[in-house]
Amino acid sequence: MNSIKQSTKKLNTNFKQKIIHMKKPLVIIVMLLSIVTIHSQTLSIDNVRKAALRTSDAIKEGSDVKGYYFFYVSDKIDKNTNEYTLRILDNNLKVLKDVKFQDSKYVTILESSFNGTDIIFLFYDSKEKTFEYQVYGADGNKKPFNYLRVLSKKEQKFLDATYLSFDDEDQTLKGLYPLDGKGFISNMPSREDKDYTFQIDYFSTEKKKQWTYTPTEGGKKFVGDYLGYFNGVAYIEVLKFKSMTDQKPDSYILGLDMETGKQLFEKTTDAKYRFYPASISKLNDGRAYIYGEYFDVNANISKDKSLGFAFWGIDEKGKILSEKYCSWDLDIGKVLNVSAKGKIDDFGYLYVHQIVQMADGNIYAIGEGYRKVASALGIASQMMSRNSGMSTIKIKITDMATIKFDKDFNVKEAKIYDKSSNTVELASGMEFVSAPLLGKLVKYTYGEFDYSYTQTNKDFTSFTVCYSDYERGKNYKGSTFNSISYNDGKITTDKIKTKSDATRSWVLPGKQGQVLVLDYYKKDKRLDTHLEKLN
Amino acid sequence: MPATRIILTLLLHLIICQAVFSQQLRPVYNFQKDDTVLKRAYYEQALQNKNKLTGSLGSNYKKDYQEIYEARFKEVASLLQSNRSVTDPVAHNYLQSILKNILDANPELRSKDTRLLFSRDWWPNAFSMGEGTLVVNAGLMIFLDNEAELVFVICHELAHFYLDHSNKAIKKNVETYNSVAFQNELKRLSKQEYGAGQQLDEMIKKLEFGNRRHSRENETEADRFAFMFMKNTGFDCNGIKTCLQLLDKVDDSLLYRSIDPELTFNFSSYPFKKKWIQKESAIFSQMSNDNSPLTKKERDSLRTHPDCAVRISFLEDSILKARQGEKFIMNKTLFLQLKKDFFVEMAEQQFKSNNLSRNLYYSLQMLQSGENTAYAMFAIARGLNIMHESQKNHKLGIITDKETRGYPADYNILLRMLDRLRLEEIANINYNFCMQHKAEMSVYTGFNNEFNKAVNQKTQY
Repeated sequence: MNSIKQSTKKLNTNFKQKIIHMKKPLVIIVMLLSIVTIHSQTLSIDNVRKAALRTSDAIKEGSDVKGYYFFYVSDKIDKNTNEYTLRILDNNLKVLKDVKFQDSKYVTILESSFNGTDIIFLFYDSKEKTFEYQVYGADGNKKPFNYLRVLSKKEQKFLDATYLSFDDEDQTLKGLYPLDGKGFISNMPSREDKDYTFQIDYFSTEKKKQWTYTPTEGGKKFVGDYLGYFNGVAYIEVLKFKSMTDQKPDSYILGLDMETGKQLFEKTTDAKYRFYPASISKLNDGRAYIYGEYFDVNANISKDKSLGFAFWGIDEKGKILSEKYCSWDLDIGKVLNVSAKGKIDDFGYLYVHQIVQMADGNIYAIGEGYRKVASALGIASQMMSRNSGMSTIKIKITDMATIKFDKDFNVKEAKIYDKSSNTVELASGMEFVSAPLLGKLVKYTYGEFDYSYTQTNKDFTSFTVCYSDYERGKNYKGSTFNSISYNDGKITTDKIKTKSDATRSWVLPGKQGQVLVLDYYKKDKRLDTHLEKLN
Repeated sequence: MPATRIILTLLLHLIICQAVFSQQLRPVYNFQKDDTVLKRAYYEQALQNKNKLTGSLGSNYKKDYQEIYEARFKEVASLLQSNRSVTDPVAHNYLQSILKNILDANPELRSKDTRLLFSRDWWPNAFSMGEGTLVVNAGLMIFLDNEAELVFVICHELAHFYLDHSNKAIKKNVETYNSVAFQNELKRLSKQEYGAGQQLDEMIKKLEFGNRRHSRENETEADRFAFMFMKNTGFDCNGIKTCLQLLDKVDDSLLYRSIDPELTFNFSSYPFKKKWIQKESAIFSQMSNDNSPLTKKERDSLRTHPDCAVRISFLEDSILKARQGEKFIMNKTLFLQLKKDFFVEMAEQQFKSNNLSRNLYYSLQMLQSGENTAYAMFAIARGLNIMHESQKNHKLGIITDKETRGYPADYNILLRMLDRLRLEEIANINYNFCMQHKAEMSVYTGFNNEFNKAVNQKTQY
């Protein structure tokens, strides 16, 4: 699988350049900024000083970028200890603070988050096998307390295979969620005796206060997805697998008391249909709604295609106040040419990346099309050698799409945004895998969707969807960074050409509705950074 | 033929109307006209000086000195070859008349090859490049109250030049960095595996403290010599005291009132939106501006200039003893006029240097204070049109500043607004702004052009 993935990537490099994700360009910035003239005969301070960047990332409040951090080794103190510098910048790239401290040479930062007042950093010591959460207040000072989690050997092994093993550029596994000015919720895989489960932690930022919740009863494996909080309750979507090979896990919504971590309710989402909530929003009617895709009640979630979208009203006791289902063929079919199996003409299947709800009540599902097509390369390889390892089909990634629902969850309109298609060669045997499962593979294994991220502002009056594309026009041939934006009830699209007179350009996430453009001019050894709005 | 006659009459009428119309158009402002010959002559002088200096260098650290002198010349050349430097005869001759007064009263300064200039730079500063070029920025001139204060500023920079502070500092640094002890220490640290960074920090701190202490000593010495030069001129030496007091608070000073974007950009047909300037959550929002990890003593040791209060105290007795002088000797009216002119020149310079947010900021200050309003209205319309086009092409970030601690609060609010405005909103604001001022601005050159652009941009939505 790996070799095919690599060769496919090589093919795609010429065909369609992916927009470089967050971490690598930040490393590049530091490298470029540290270019110094080395004097031939004498030593200068700059070429004696050694600094090594360990991690860097955006600091987000929800999906909105509020700043950036660079964590680097600024000195070696002894064979076990380093001096570290944690540099924190605001979202205009102005340096706010340099924090210097000494710690084990095995320390790194895994995650950060901002809750409108405080920043939390998750430090990981790979030798001591500890997670340490440190909090910095609005005054820029470190709080006089921290939260420590010592990992057992089993936990360490499980996290090594899950949370710690991924090159998680899309941040799909990140799990530090802000609670406005109060603290943070952490969601992380966990291991309890023989069970494979997850752990929800609450970390207060006002004073040292923490609770932990780990489900273990009635299943062998638990997968938890923190949806959000409402009226003092944290809502978590849980999949409970009876065995490690269970294909039809139970799905339920868990309600935890935000103050104590006590379980308030456990509500199954298997009713008329099998419902897998993806998010929660408080709507204008003051109620909380959970929403996501729904399936046939006997469906195999890893293979079967969803039937459409479901919206449930839920209260803080777990009582379901309303249910609404929008099916592919009957409801979405009114605005798009969709088959009962969810296939859209010329578009293929829709992979839903994100569902967002705006303050005016309108809900938008944001997705990307993909379909199976014959692979000439795979067929030729099969003809030459039966064990070529290549599939006779490949995945063609098509256009972007948004589906709009009104506040009563009726489908109002759907729009397809053309982009150039991209193909993913597959390994032999993939011919027999269902389309929905292939969509998941393209997202999580191959990472080949063009979708980059979605950001909403804090008051949910605006969202921006960003994705990469490639243009082959008369006047321009090269990659582009594209956006679909929603503002004041209006949708607009925009495109940034990443090929410019600069030697190289990068586009990185910025604050909501903006991107950070980096233009590097090799000749002048100059790096221009400018934040630009998406129109 | 009556038809031909009618056409001819109409054509004639049209030509006459156009002529009358174009005669009526007035410039929004009469900008200073620079003397390119003088600029060239100054440039040549500076070049010759540099070549003479580099040509006379000994073998010791020649390359280091050469690099520094070349870099210094590059700075001087960029000033003289750009529109930053003011060589307009009125402003320049005025400055030279003050310089002449000082030189006449202090013969020891006459042999020095001095080029004194105003610049259109906005930051409140004056400086000596160390090779004869002395500059007083427009950003400082606009805050000075009288000629005596300007004379002190010039005398202070002349003193730095007279005492050769810049070249002495260059020599000291080059020799320190190349000294056997310093290089051996760097070599030792480059091979040291542990703790090298901390020791390097200590070394830098020590060097910095030394340099800054020396710099403060130079400032005190320059003040002393400035007083000695100034007391011979006939200007009031109390100007030293008032000038230093002014410098103490100049970073927080405004020539005109602070701006409120809502005052200018609120229209009945397109009301101002509070969300454009509402404060958002920000990292370390309550952090003090002074977030240095250094102690107060260390911070004081890192200052390049002594406290203004300390500087005043050093000279206070001497000032009291000095004979009474005049606040104005040369030309009070021109001094006051130049202060006003420099504000517009400084604003326009920001436009020419591609900093449109600062140009807009100064223009709003003028408009809301009722000063140079024709220029202000034109500049606002022009600026918003360019910002619209730049935002469309994702280049707005290159021509606008971003909110930054240390900027005036009202400028940060304007920057926040520029940061949030969507393309359509810029077009709507400018269209309404132009409509509101169309009648009074139709007699000024350039405004109608901006108005038409604003109308075109508005019709895109």
